[in-house]
Amino acid sequence: MPNALGRLSVLLCLVAAAAVAGCGGDGRTPLVVYSPHGRDLLTVVEQAYEQTRPDVDVRWLDMGSQEVYDRIRSERANPQADVWFGGPATILARGAAEGLLAPSEPSWAAALDPADRHPEGLYYTLYQTPTIIVYNRDAIGEDEAPADWDDLLDERWHDEVVIRDPLASGTMRTIFGKILADSVIETGSTEAGFDWLRRLDGQTREYVHSPAVLHEKLTRQEGVLTLWEMTDTLSLIDRGAPIAYRFPASGTAVIQDSVGVVAGSDSEDEAEAFIDWLGSPEALGLAVAEAFRLPARDDLDAEVLAPWVADVQSRLRRAEVDWRMIEENGAAWMAEWDRAVRGQGGG
Amino acid sequence: MSAAGAGGKAPQLQSLMPWLVLAFLVWLVGYPLLVVAAEAFGIGSPGGGGPTTEAFQSFFTRADEWNAMWRTLWISVLSTLAAAAIGVPLGFLFERNEIPGRRLLGALVALPVALPPLVGVIAFLFLYGESGLAARGLQSLGLDVSWRLTGAWAILLVHAYSMYVYFYLFTRAGLSGQDGAAIEAAQSLGASRSQILFRVTLPRLRPALAGATLLTFMTSLGSFSAPYIFGGGFRVMTTQIVASKLNGELRMAYVETTMLALLAFASLLLLRKIDPGLDLASGARGTPPARRRLHSRGARIAAAAGGWVLAGVLLLPHATLILMSLVPPNTWTVEAFPPVLGLVNYGDLLSSAERLRPALNSLWMAAAATLAAVVVGVMAARLSLRRGGLPGRALEAMMTLPWAIPGTVFALALAAAMSVNAPWVGRFVLVGTLWILPLAYLVRSLPLTGRSIFAGLRQLDPRLEEAAASLGAGALRTVLQIVLPLLRPAVIAGAGLAFITMLGDFVTSIVLYTYDTRPISIEIQSSLRIQETGIAAAYGVLLMVLSAVAFIAWDDRAGGRL
Repeated sequence: MPNALGRLSVLLCLVAAAAVAGCGGDGRTPLVVYSPHGRDLLTVVEQAYEQTRPDVDVRWLDMGSQEVYDRIRSERANPQADVWFGGPATILARGAAEGLLAPSEPSWAAALDPADRHPEGLYYTLYQTPTIIVYNRDAIGEDEAPADWDDLLDERWHDEVVIRDPLASGTMRTIFGKILADSVIETGSTEAGFDWLRRLDGQTREYVHSPAVLHEKLTRQEGVLTLWEMTDTLSLIDRGAPIAYRFPASGTAVIQDSVGVVAGSDSEDEAEAFIDWLGSPEALGLAVAEAFRLPARDDLDAEVLAPWVADVQSRLRRAEVDWRMIEENGAAWMAEWDRAVRGQGGG
Repeated sequence: MSAAGAGGKAPQLQSLMPWLVLAFLVWLVGYPLLVVAAEAFGIGSPGGGGPTTEAFQSFFTRADEWNAMWRTLWISVLSTLAAAAIGVPLGFLFERNEIPGRRLLGALVALPVALPPLVGVIAFLFLYGESGLAARGLQSLGLDVSWRLTGAWAILLVHAYSMYVYFYLFTRAGLSGQDGAAIEAAQSLGASRSQILFRVTLPRLRPALAGATLLTFMTSLGSFSAPYIFGGGFRVMTTQIVASKLNGELRMAYVETTMLALLAFASLLLLRKIDPGLDLASGARGTPPARRRLHSRGARIAAAAGGWVLAGVLLLPHATLILMSLVPPNTWTVEAFPPVLGLVNYGDLLSSAERLRPALNSLWMAAAATLAAVVVGVMAARLSLRRGGLPGRALEAMMTLPWAIPGTVFALALAAAMSVNAPWVGRFVLVGTLWILPLAYLVRSLPLTGRSIFAGLRQLDPRLEEAAASLGAGALRTVLQIVLPLLRPAVIAGAGLAFITMLGDFVTSIVLYTYDTRPISIEIQSSLRIQETGIAAAYGVLLMVLSAVAFIAWDDRAGGRL
């Protein structure tokens, strides 16, 4: 035993030494970015920014948009992140209300629609993410695919819809939130909206825990339809996934994917410079070309943008969305959905 | 009590020691939970407002909360029974019979423990799911079968599969520590084999079985990955907590955590009643009974073949994970078997140092936490068993409690407690530092090392230590030269499990990791999030190989004992 313990502690010391050696900085200023954007975009952004600013070391951590909020909130006493890069504005709004964001003033703010700017400059919309209907194109022909949200309730799609667990997903929260907000605007209460969601629940084969499983199920035709967002879908199609998508005919909620400086960051100036760069034509051009992001500012020259952008802009029908209502009631609505709708649609 | 011995330590320190260790454990294990409980009542939360029972009231009036409590309980009971039904017979089979290839097979059978969380459960989905390998294989044979892997049965299947290893390992460790002379004595007195089993072997196995029961039950109570992936609307407490937390109902999440902790605590007290305690420490520890040899060549071959088939079935999820890691992105759609295989995902994984960094992080953190947990475990167990009484029971409870607390929430609690700089109330800013994650791993390792060390120590004759002391050995020397060598199977069983569990830990890490400490499981989660199932599987395989190497090395160290 002493022998085994001895060997173990030697091993442990080696590993610890390696760990400490690996943690040492290289003299560059670290810039920590929390983001739901995924490796594709984050790698591109990191490399391009470090080329422009060789004295900065961009360190990103990739996580769900709701998790970014959770983490920043739980690290409030000792903030680790400098930049909150991505997530629906409704989630950043919550962070702003809880004092998790610091004001900034990127040079491109003036090019934004006023609705895309927080009044005190706590966050700005960088990209737009339309919500869409996605289907397996091997199983459903282009002309049979549902053309609108309501078509998802058609008898023939019974048990054919798979949905990403809505509680965890900013995208699904937006889609469901819009349906409930519309219900309030049109009828004065959420009843019709919940009724619609109950019928959708009846069509739903399964709620899955992660986008990966959602994608696997669609690909393997364990369910052939889903409600999801465009950026993700375009990059999957680009990678050869057998899926296609539709912009709903009646209009679609477009998620305002936003960015802001984390309050209490060690390097607020660096964070602001980074955000300023993210909205530059150069950085947006990269995001368009490499990661299918749709820029929020609409003053960019056509040569910055890839051809797909014009195509999407021409087909996309934006719906009016009462973001304030979703922001204020979203949590309560989703809790109600979880209790009274999930699994109750008789599917 | 032999007390100070030749070392001449102050008796005051000796009597203070249990309290000091207890204070440390309370600070590390209990204190963060108290913070959570206080916040459930609205005390000390940054949001302000006075104490309130509002959240508790709404908890008690909601049917879905009661359902989740009840389901957590019966899923845990059934999981424990199923795990025991598989693990105990397997333990006997491999410990008491001389089967060709016994050592290798015996190690392979324990490998479900090396199936990484999250992606391991997803491998289950690919294997036994609706359009998994099993279903498509059967369908391609012309059989008209279909099923869906969801709900309670799916959770039970995964639990039984991944948790029988606790019973298996504890049974083997317990059996290897038994004295063959007792069995020979019983035989010479004319006892039948079943009499020996029920009157001699099993009673002596009780501490080990009690330890395994407790571990399995508590693991089920806190289990997250399987209910998360298969549960859907079938909620247990852990998924209920995460749903509340994700929905921003933080106070409700704290209430649910408090209730789950109370459920765990009640179960712990109940199971402690079954645990026989010290009564079985009689009799010197000798050589374990000789293994039964199979005399006929045919029987040996049949046993070996049966063993390999069993190992094969048990390793199917691992094989599935390896297969998944070999599938290039978007090439496997409706075929029964992937049409293209390649090493693309591994190429991606090895292409940058950044992508391998998490493996190194996981290794050093798991090793540090395990070593510390063994040290704390041996100290606490010795003090608890010697001292007995209230501090003794409290020490043991503190060692066991962390296992019942869902990792995510314990991590949140630790983060909450250690995000304020107030040393006079035991709070330091550890959030965002290198140390908070290894510290959380240490807490989560304590029940694993602690239970097996407790079980091992209970089988140890205290007179051995007294003899060492009376021969002039100091306390440290007694521990190093007498206690540890005798405890070796127990320490190895516990430490091996702890190391592997922490290597793959997901739920604690997700809350507490920083850029410098991000472990493998976080990389797996990120890959799954951006739909790189193949990369996630490749990480999973890496984790599995690391765990398996660690496990077999540990197994080897035990000299074939375990």
